[in-house]
Amino acid sequence: MSQLKHYLPALVRITLGAVFIYAALLKIADPVAFAGSVAAYRILPYFGSYLTAAALPFVELCCGILLVLGYRVRSGALIIGVLNLVFIVALASAIVRGLDIDCGCFKQGGEKTTPWTALARDVLFLAMTWFVLKVEARRDRGSETGAGPAAPAG
Amino acid sequence: MKKNGLGTVMEILLIVAISASVGIAWNRTLLTSAWRGEVARPAEAAAPAANAVTEPMPLGLMQVKELVDAKQAVLLDARSRTSFAEGHLQGAFNLPLEEAAKNPSRPLKVQVPAEASIITYCNGFSCHDSMELAKILVKAGYPNVYVYEGGFPEWRDAGYPVAKGGA
Repeated sequence: MSQLKHYLPALVRITLGAVFIYAALLKIADPVAFAGSVAAYRILPYFGSYLTAAALPFVELCCGILLVLGYRVRSGALIIGVLNLVFIVALASAIVRGLDIDCGCFKQGGEKTTPWTALARDVLFLAMTWFVLKVEARRDRGSETGAGPAAPAG
Repeated sequence: MKKNGLGTVMEILLIVAISASVGIAWNRTLLTSAWRGEVARPAEAAAPAANAVTEPMPLGLMQVKELVDAKQAVLLDARSRTSFAEGHLQGAFNLPLEEAAKNPSRPLKVQVPAEASIITYCNGFSCHDSMELAKILVKAGYPNVYVYEGGFPEWRDAGYPVAKGGA
């Protein structure tokens, strides 16, 4: 139990980072298909979809790598948190407008993931992000008071 | 947190700016052609997938009459040859469901203009062949497929033109 408590922060951080790296690589592999997924939300104009499809996966990739490496975790996690909020808003708007679309979160043009499933998944990722940020904040407080590095969550 | 709040903000901006630039540089060819409008609109690319799962829309008697009068619709009778010969909506073509099901990729032999609507019907609300036929047509790629659920009985009882014979 104490072992789990000891490793949980790193486990959550690395899992979250790996998920984002995986998602990013799938999108980088097929930017045109991802642009199609973005356009299907009918939020962005024509070129906006392509610009998002070009830039967003690389932001995801970068933040994922930072989280996995444990370097600049707070910035990486904050960006991932904001991205997740944006995804949740976009998915919710798709649900409200009754759009029957694939979320485009991971593999493009594969098996369809409904907005509801994707929404639930994003909420989970958001919770993981929040946990990572909380651990970071505690670690900071710990180092400020000179309690030594990285007192694990307790 | 408060120790280096500004630092974190700068760091976030930097990370986003750098990775977004890398992404834009990575996809510069695609973006250039998209900017010039040379790439297919992504919404169009996504459209067939959206249509593939769309159920054919049902139409009421009046809507069908208007479309037929405006010559904007092709009527398809999903019933058997015999039923068709006994009476059908004037101007309708006969495409029994079984025949369409045998050749689902190219079910229609008649040429349908791209903008025209296809309306399928059979023997009224208790008959589901028209819906099945419409689904085959949607899968085959026809964009505007509708089902007239009232079918032949409702049309005939409303006193609208019917015809006999032929196929």
